[in-house]
Amino acid sequence: MKIGDILSKDRINLNLKSSDKESVIKELISLLAKTGSITDKEEFFEAVWEREKTYSTGIGMGIAIPHGKSKAVKGAAIAFGKSERGIDFDSLDGKPAYLFFLIAVPEESHDLHLKLISTLSRKLMHEEVRKALYEADTEEKVLEALNFD
Amino acid sequence: MKKIVAVTACPTGIAHTYMAAENLSIAAKELGVEIKVETQGSVGIENKLSEEDIKNADAVIIAAATKVDKSRFYGKPILEVPVEQAIKDAKSLIEKALKMEKSADYLERVEEIHRKRSAARTGAYKHLMTGVSYMIPFVVAGGILIAISFAFGINAFKNEGTLPAALMQIGGGSAFALMVPVLSGYIAYSIADRPGLVPGMVGGMLAVSTGAGFLGGIISGFLAGYTVDFIKRSIKLPKTLEGIMPVLVLPVLSCLIVGLLMIYVIGTPIKSIMTALTNWLTGMSKSNAVLLGLILGLMMAFDMGGPVNKAAYTFATGLLASGIYTPMAAVMAAGMTPPLGLALATLIAKDRFTDDEIEAGKAAWVLGISFITEGAIPFAAADPLKVIPSIMVGSAVTGALSMLFGATLRVPHGGIFVLPIPNAVGNLPMYVISIIAGTVVTAFMVLLLKKKAS
Repeated sequence: MKIGDILSKDRINLNLKSSDKESVIKELISLLAKTGSITDKEEFFEAVWEREKTYSTGIGMGIAIPHGKSKAVKGAAIAFGKSERGIDFDSLDGKPAYLFFLIAVPEESHDLHLKLISTLSRKLMHEEVRKALYEADTEEKVLEALNFD
Repeated sequence: MKKIVAVTACPTGIAHTYMAAENLSIAAKELGVEIKVETQGSVGIENKLSEEDIKNADAVIIAAATKVDKSRFYGKPILEVPVEQAIKDAKSLIEKALKMEKSADYLERVEEIHRKRSAARTGAYKHLMTGVSYMIPFVVAGGILIAISFAFGINAFKNEGTLPAALMQIGGGSAFALMVPVLSGYIAYSIADRPGLVPGMVGGMLAVSTGAGFLGGIISGFLAGYTVDFIKRSIKLPKTLEGIMPVLVLPVLSCLIVGLLMIYVIGTPIKSIMTALTNWLTGMSKSNAVLLGLILGLMMAFDMGGPVNKAAYTFATGLLASGIYTPMAAVMAAGMTPPLGLALATLIAKDRFTDDEIEAGKAAWVLGISFITEGAIPFAAADPLKVIPSIMVGSAVTGALSMLFGATLRVPHGGIFVLPIPNAVGNLPMYVISIIAGTVVTAFMVLLLKKKAS
């Protein structure tokens, strides 16, 4: 299984327009909706927002990983987005986030998908991966930076 | 090299669990610390910590936003933080954890074991224990009130209109009379929920009136529970009539079935078993009494509050309903000596125990006199092959002595605190001696078997 199975090129947006937390999540959700990974944008947003309320998924280092589990999700999927100017995401280190991974998981999910997401999460903790993501200027380079098979 | 074990977990278990784990590993590598991180995430538990891992660890880090079971880390320094802390600054977490002192939360651990065991009970054992746990307070209330009635003179209750008679009416005529119906009712309740209660209690009443006693009550409880279950599954009423199911169909049918079975099929044979059992127990020779006490004692100490212990306990408690009080005395005494004996051992043989255990020994006194056998578990877990035989021998001695002296106990719980209640215990001086003897024997056995602590 490859990252491409859950993060495809058409779910990558290298030039996010949003300027605040709520709208950036919605912008990423629209990517998932466009590719048919979720059936109900509002419902999924609620799940993600609920999750953010417990504590922010802005993990610092310029990265945020909003995620939600919902029955509005058809199959596990990730959307990736990059913001040039950075967005305040209530991050752990108080700094704005530039790289966003929105993770969508259905109520009943396939273990392999979850495993892939856990591997992705682990990847992000490595500096060289983050660096490659910051430098990636094409969708291919994003996938390349994350490729871990 | 310093070793750390860690557990990470977060509410959804999707991302933070793994990021925290990875970050801890990265930080550990930088600090030259060996680490193993168990993740409790969406995929389930991965990289599970073995007993060996935990044993060799210098410290434990729990980075979790959800409840993580800490009982397996007993005695280790535990640093508990929210999961994001490990993502933010894993390095200082590791440094901090390695500087921590050992925790000595002995009581917390006993409590946790207790809870875990209750939660882990399944199937018939769980149902039986539910019934027993609901029954116990009735027996305690009844037993103590009867004992107080006797304090006015053993036959004082026979004079109608007097306080002793009233106490007997409350304790014996009511609280004790409810014991088997409640046992039976709540076994059924555990199996079939609310609808189980009715046939369960009715079946329990019939167990009493047919002379089938607590054995009959256990059977009627299971019978009632499974009967209700069966009726629920086999009778499907149209939607409009569903409302009459719980108020009419289930109670009537289940009581009818359970009741008829109790009267015509089960009552008589169980009654003969109960009669044979009570006759044997009341007419038992001294040597048989000692043997029974010995066996009950071994059972009480064997798993310290586990199923074997509970079997002996349920047996003795059930017999109270038939007016047989000696096994109850033996069982409670034998359930008190394991923590008491170990507490004594930590006093007289300090070199056999770690500092933590010596500290825990102080609390073990309290658990022992309160009849909380589980208090022995932390000691037994550290050195099972030496500790368990020791406490079994001690409990067997206590059980045997208690039976030999014919000590009786009308209350199924309470430890030392019921002893001052007049007439709650029969042959009190010798009963106390039985407990002391077992305590001393346990401590002596520990001294004999256990090696010096390193």
